[in-house]
Amino acid sequence: MAGFSELIKNFDKTRDYVRDFFIYGCKVRSDFDRKSIRTYGDEKRRVESWIGDYMRYDDSVRGRSVSISVDSGHIPENPLYNAYYSKSFTDNDIRLHFLITDILQDGKSRTLKEIVDVLNTDYGQLFDEQTVRNKLREYVDEGIIISEKQGKTLYYSLISDNADSFLQDFKGLDDALKFFSETQQFGIVGNSISKMLGLKNDLFFIKHNYIIHTLEDILLPEILSAMDEERYVSFRTFSEKKRKKGSVPETENQVIPMKLLVSVQTGRRYLAAYIPTLKRFSAFRLDYMKTVKKGKICENYEALKAKFDRNISRCFGVSFGMRRELGTVTPMKITFFVDEEKEQYILDRLEREKRCCTLEKSDEHLYTLTADVFDPNELMHWAKTFIGRIVRIEGGADSVRERFYSDIARMNIMYGGDEDEHIQ
Amino acid sequence: MNIFSEIYGTYFRIAAKLLENEVTDEKTVSETVRREGFRDSVLFLPRKLIPNGEDWGLFSRTPDGDLKRITKNAPVKTLTKLQKMWLKSKLSDPRIRLFMDDETLSALEKRLADTPPLYRREQFRITDRFTDSDDFFNEQYITNFRTALEAVKHRKIVYIEFVSGHGKRVNGKFVLLKMEYSPKNGKFRAYCYLLRNDRVKSSGIINIGRITSIADTGRIFRTPVSIDDYFSSRKCSSPAVIRVTTARNGVERFMLEFASYEKHTVRDLETGEYTVELWYDRQDETELLIRLLSFGPVIEILAPQHLRRQAKQRIKRQAELLQQLR
Repeated sequence: MAGFSELIKNFDKTRDYVRDFFIYGCKVRSDFDRKSIRTYGDEKRRVESWIGDYMRYDDSVRGRSVSISVDSGHIPENPLYNAYYSKSFTDNDIRLHFLITDILQDGKSRTLKEIVDVLNTDYGQLFDEQTVRNKLREYVDEGIIISEKQGKTLYYSLISDNADSFLQDFKGLDDALKFFSETQQFGIVGNSISKMLGLKNDLFFIKHNYIIHTLEDILLPEILSAMDEERYVSFRTFSEKKRKKGSVPETENQVIPMKLLVSVQTGRRYLAAYIPTLKRFSAFRLDYMKTVKKGKICENYEALKAKFDRNISRCFGVSFGMRRELGTVTPMKITFFVDEEKEQYILDRLEREKRCCTLEKSDEHLYTLTADVFDPNELMHWAKTFIGRIVRIEGGADSVRERFYSDIARMNIMYGGDEDEHIQ
Repeated sequence: MNIFSEIYGTYFRIAAKLLENEVTDEKTVSETVRREGFRDSVLFLPRKLIPNGEDWGLFSRTPDGDLKRITKNAPVKTLTKLQKMWLKSKLSDPRIRLFMDDETLSALEKRLADTPPLYRREQFRITDRFTDSDDFFNEQYITNFRTALEAVKHRKIVYIEFVSGHGKRVNGKFVLLKMEYSPKNGKFRAYCYLLRNDRVKSSGIINIGRITSIADTGRIFRTPVSIDDYFSSRKCSSPAVIRVTTARNGVERFMLEFASYEKHTVRDLETGEYTVELWYDRQDETELLIRLLSFGPVIEILAPQHLRRQAKQRIKRQAELLQQLR
């Protein structure tokens, strides 16, 4: 136990571990060879401590594998929020937190010197002015305390916005907190208010709930603020493929952020951005990003944003396509068989899921979807949910069509084709 | 301003809870840490709270052995800038209208007038939400939602008329257990039991958007019901067993997309392939099937047999269609 702490300093490192335990489902210690054994042991223990009920262990020849198995559609609270609630701190941090807020609770403004004096005389706590000043500054930044100059002296007082009074004054806020605490974006912040108020979500479950997204929320405030201020952002990305091969090469990126793209079906979120060096838009996975920092102001932000808004309307998902890989992409047309009388639900599905594509009846029982999109590959992942109904595919890139034909042929063999089979 | 800050942390929260009372004792400290802390907190936290020379100094020992807080008042629950900014952002979310009336919303808007939002809705784009989301501006929908929510809270028996997914008109008395929201569909649903002669007849899910009328019967359903039993009654009898190959980054893509399912995975050490067992709600079987098919030959449905058979039928039909085409 010596040296172990439940609390963490570095969120990025923990984020990495939790993601691996959560996503891959079976990780043994040797899979984490990029980390020391002690680090692995500590991280594993921390995760167990936060989300013990959802940890699962299986023994294999390679050792005990650890995973997080959560039916996230049936949980009242995202257990991964605990990672945020584990920030380490010093003894002075916690002492000053409760003492300063206690002193200022009477609503009066005080100078730094007065606060230090009260700490000494009324509470018997000796703190130097610098330590208290730093804490006050920190709390001004967090919005717990306000500082006002009177003459040359700064006066500090407590912000009067109290969570209990909000709950009392705004009917329905409790239920709203229960709901929004479990939904994007930044459910963690709502959950922190609920926790402060002792509220527990006993009303809502979230289906198709990608609870892992909360770990990426740590990156968002900096990105959002860069968007507002029309600035560049820099960040590091790592490649999952290369990481699996043992090395962890990280790439430094400098981009102009445009929008955050959220997929509610694939479990991925992206930053869509303009890459000045390549002169193109691209989307970066948030779960592969680290250490985001705002940079200089982008002088032609508005023009780029207008271009982005035009381009994004031709993305079926998040890809802006790679011309050199796909060649010239002509609009893709996919024709589906639908018996309108018996299968209205298929038409309904096509209508509600077609996104930027258009759908028209092309013949009896035939409906053609036209997709003028940058990357037809993305379209085909969705189109395959209609396997058994695709009558014709035209346009798009040759490689995309050929891959579909070959996929169907392979699947037909995989599932036994015409042969009867009895697989258990 | 930081989300990852100790002021929101579990240790601070437990300390705040214990400081609410002027005097407390060691037993209360241990119980509170056990209840509110992480699994191992009881090994670390009490010794920082109880005076022993290495503690934080938040309590002093009284002559009769109790613990007296060093502060004069119970801790304040001040909302931080980040929390208010989050609330401000939620004001522009149409779903907030389900919980608060216009008057309350304007009052909250006024209270947060000087607070900027944490984010603006237009800074996010959801790429693949279905377009037939619930209409959160529709007054009738809002009324139905609120009635349903009240029924969930108080286990009220409600009379509901709705149109089923197959277009059938259905009515009856129901007890509503929980509300469910799907970000993919943008819809709220209620988990429910249909009652006949005041007894549970069957379990179901009602889309709030399909309710044409809902009325409180004035009666409470007092028979204890367990949400776990409800889920068990709807769960597949055996899990879907899927072989996931490493082609096209299949493992990562699959694991991420199906991350929301309860699952058990085993890795083949030689091939790197995964065998994944997924548990699902029987009602969602078709949705599961088509999502699995969208992975193409990267994955293979091994079991249960009826699911594999459905996949096979669809693929066979597709292969025949392509044969005609080429």
